Amino acid sequence: MFAQNRRDFLKIATATPFIPGSLGAMGELTLCCEDKSIRSMCEMCSSRCPMEARVVNGKVVALQGNAYDKAMGTSLCARGVAGISQLYDEQRLTQPLIRVGKRGENKWRVVSLEEALEYIATKLNHLKKTYGARSVIFSSKTGESYDMLRSFAYAFGSPNVFSHWSSCPIAIESAFEHTFGETMHRDFENANYILNFGHNLFEGLDIPLTKAMARFASNPSKKLIVFDPRFSLMASKANEWYPIKAGSDLAFVLALLHVWIRDGKYDKNFVQHYSVGFDKLEKALKESTPQWQERLTGIEASVVERIADEVYQAAPRCIIDWGHKATTSPAEYQRSRAILIANILMGNVEKRGGIYFPKSAKRINAISFDEMIPTLNEAYPRMFPNEERLDGAGQHGSYVFVPKEHGVLQAIPEAILSQKPYAIKGWFLTRHNPLITLAHPQKMKEAIQNLEFIVVNDIYLSDTAMMADVVLPEATYLERDEGIRDQSDKVPCYTMRNCVIPSLYGTKSALEILRSLAQKLGVDKNYKWDTMAKLRVHQAKGDDAFLEVLLRRGVATFGIPELFLRESKDVERFVEHYPKSKALLCKEGCFSHFFHTLQTPSGKVEIFCEMVEKIFEGYGLPCAVDMDVTQGYPYVLTSGKSAIHTNGHTHNIPYLHQLMSDNPIWMHPQTAKAHGLKMGDAFYVENGIAKEKATVFITEGIRPDTLFAYMGFGRDAPSLKRAHGKGLNPSKLLSLRSAPVCGSMITNVGVKITKV
Amino acid sequence: MGKAYRLLYDENACIGCQACSVACRVEHGVPEDFFRLQVRMELKGVFPRLGMSYERMACVMCEDAPCVSVCPTFASFQDKDGLVHIDERVCITCKYCILACPYHARFVNPLKNVVEKCDFCYESRVSKALLPVCVSICPTEALMFGDMNERDSLVYETSHKEALIFPKAHLKTKPKVAFLPKRKGMKS
Repeated sequence: MFAQNRRDFLKIATATPFIPGSLGAMGELTLCCEDKSIRSMCEMCSSRCPMEARVVNGKVVALQGNAYDKAMGTSLCARGVAGISQLYDEQRLTQPLIRVGKRGENKWRVVSLEEALEYIATKLNHLKKTYGARSVIFSSKTGESYDMLRSFAYAFGSPNVFSHWSSCPIAIESAFEHTFGETMHRDFENANYILNFGHNLFEGLDIPLTKAMARFASNPSKKLIVFDPRFSLMASKANEWYPIKAGSDLAFVLALLHVWIRDGKYDKNFVQHYSVGFDKLEKALKESTPQWQERLTGIEASVVERIADEVYQAAPRCIIDWGHKATTSPAEYQRSRAILIANILMGNVEKRGGIYFPKSAKRINAISFDEMIPTLNEAYPRMFPNEERLDGAGQHGSYVFVPKEHGVLQAIPEAILSQKPYAIKGWFLTRHNPLITLAHPQKMKEAIQNLEFIVVNDIYLSDTAMMADVVLPEATYLERDEGIRDQSDKVPCYTMRNCVIPSLYGTKSALEILRSLAQKLGVDKNYKWDTMAKLRVHQAKGDDAFLEVLLRRGVATFGIPELFLRESKDVERFVEHYPKSKALLCKEGCFSHFFHTLQTPSGKVEIFCEMVEKIFEGYGLPCAVDMDVTQGYPYVLTSGKSAIHTNGHTHNIPYLHQLMSDNPIWMHPQTAKAHGLKMGDAFYVENGIAKEKATVFITEGIRPDTLFAYMGFGRDAPSLKRAHGKGLNPSKLLSLRSAPVCGSMITNVGVKITKV
Repeated sequence: MGKAYRLLYDENACIGCQACSVACRVEHGVPEDFFRLQVRMELKGVFPRLGMSYERMACVMCEDAPCVSVCPTFASFQDKDGLVHIDERVCITCKYCILACPYHARFVNPLKNVVEKCDFCYESRVSKALLPVCVSICPTEALMFGDMNERDSLVYETSHKEALIFPKAHLKTKPKVAFLPKRKGMKS
């Protein structure tokens, strides 16, 4: 291996000069007046947008999009730009802390990283010896830190790894898995008609997707229909907005399917050749008429009829958009499945302006019968320990269909409190703040009082970090190198997070921390690397040209033409480039073979899912169940993202806090009047779980029976000096109940209102 | 030939995300709670017949600039290309310009005790052939910037294709910033 002598080169090569002209030509001058740009990847939310940082004399002065990614250009959102404000925030954690007071009392002793890691290793070993490795939970938001944490947890011997999925995208991810065998993407750019069920891309931003959607929405010849109980920013850009009753999207989609099937208006060829279970669907939807859905959604039957016809006319250049964590009711799995089936019936799969399978290097190499695009070595070995998970995820019981790598976070409090199926005594969290982002934090707080040992790795002393025994200060994304990530979309693509400036306080990344812990615990024999440079070289299989592109550009694509497998023009062009792929052509001149070898049990697109039906009777097909989100209360409290803040993360960052420091609850004027509330008045929002004080924001932009809160507010941690005590944490009113099949947290909840 | 700069704002593409505002803050070190640039959104109508207007609030670079004519010390001035600037060395913070500006684009920077406003990023970017930072950062390409003397520029092409709206045109200040008309939703 050439890792050792390459490492220094890699460090230097990360920086490319900002001023035109080579670094060498500028000589010593460059060193005393350094002005350089480094391409990396943002982490102010979860979208992982490729970005570029400008560093002048060792200080980060500006962040923008990485134009080497054409879908990005130089664009970046407010949060992305405010990464600087986070980096230089004096309220950041800078040193490891060990608890000295009672749990949650916020009394700490500052220690060195070495002491903190030794302490963690000793404690983890103790828990393993006393209660077994499975007594320790590991959780993280998905991403590289999650990949590493999962690998570490399995090597340690615990099956209890949790990602944020069950509190966010798990319903749609399960629906993908069961219907297509993998995650699908959307081609907003080329669509002509989009039905949007609360997927608020104009507030939950992902630059390439948001940009494509903005182009679509602002184009007068295209049509966007938005269904949302609230007049969201998406709704404000739509041709038509329907303030659908919270939780009832499923009813509308079932009626849509009913109309298409009744009138024979669907892609019969696609359904017949590439899917299974249509006959069963036809029978199941006999009753779900446009008239039937009126009572549930509040939308007139004639609207369903008209929209069904318009979408069919636009097919296949149409998308019935799913979103994630959109309008979650207990029917979230069924809703997601119904939406995917609507796309299938419109025959938009692998069509431009429709939905498609991501074109990874592996896939393109297989189609072209060539190894022309680099693939990655696995850097985070994971041998699932032969142990029962605390929630049975992926193993047995109600969560048998939840991936065992992701688990059901909502099951944690009960498992800790009841000690069933076994004792849970420790929790290691990185980039995860469940006391803000997860349902019923009161119960979680009660449960974690019973743990013997908690480690939190974070940038701030968050609400969850407050409860820890050891708090590790993480390096922000601008201060750390990471490995290579596959971000393939329409074409194969890799990205890499490159360190922009040396860590300001000598803090380490989750990857480095976990790697040294693995060594201290003696569970690191399967890692093929011990530094970030070696990690990258291992992933890249020693391909230094490939690595150099990622170091300089932060993103690597390979000049592969876009390929939709059922667009004969695309296929023709691909075959011209890669003649060996001719062997795969079907008689329509497409690559249709692919639809017989999907990773589903039948190998085809599954409209009917036998595997699910066997265990959850009635759930093998979308049907009208579980849509009630009021639980008998007069109002539904809904929540969602803003373009300024991310989940439980950004609320204390100076530039973002300035723009949005509170989340008064949206309420229709009629509702406010009925309760004698004026703008800015305090009131109680209450249900069987909690009674919380909030302030009111009166607006015409919401249904009279619905309330809305931006998420992530209501922080209890005093160390978050700006955000502390401002706003309502809507999670406090949510139940720990999960949606059937997928195990999703349910974020719409029935409440009543009382005056203070 | 001098430059005929123009900045176009397309509210159809703008999503009010404030990326431009934060990028402006970073670029110019705008102090807390002050803004050179903001996008304001306003909900209009009655449920369920609603619309939302989006508006860029910043200096519009008037050709007939009231701020320049009222300035007693010539601190507010126009350069060769007609861009309005503030010479911080001679600004006496009398605030006449703040009162005279019909676009509420100016404020006193409390850290420097001088009047400040958007300058199209002239010093830091435009003079170096870079786009103003708001234009460069916008996630939805709602902003366009360029020279109207260049026939193949995006601003020239767009200006001749669309019926531009010049903010508060009745005041005859002849702004270099223009808005594209709203195409969808309720008219504002």
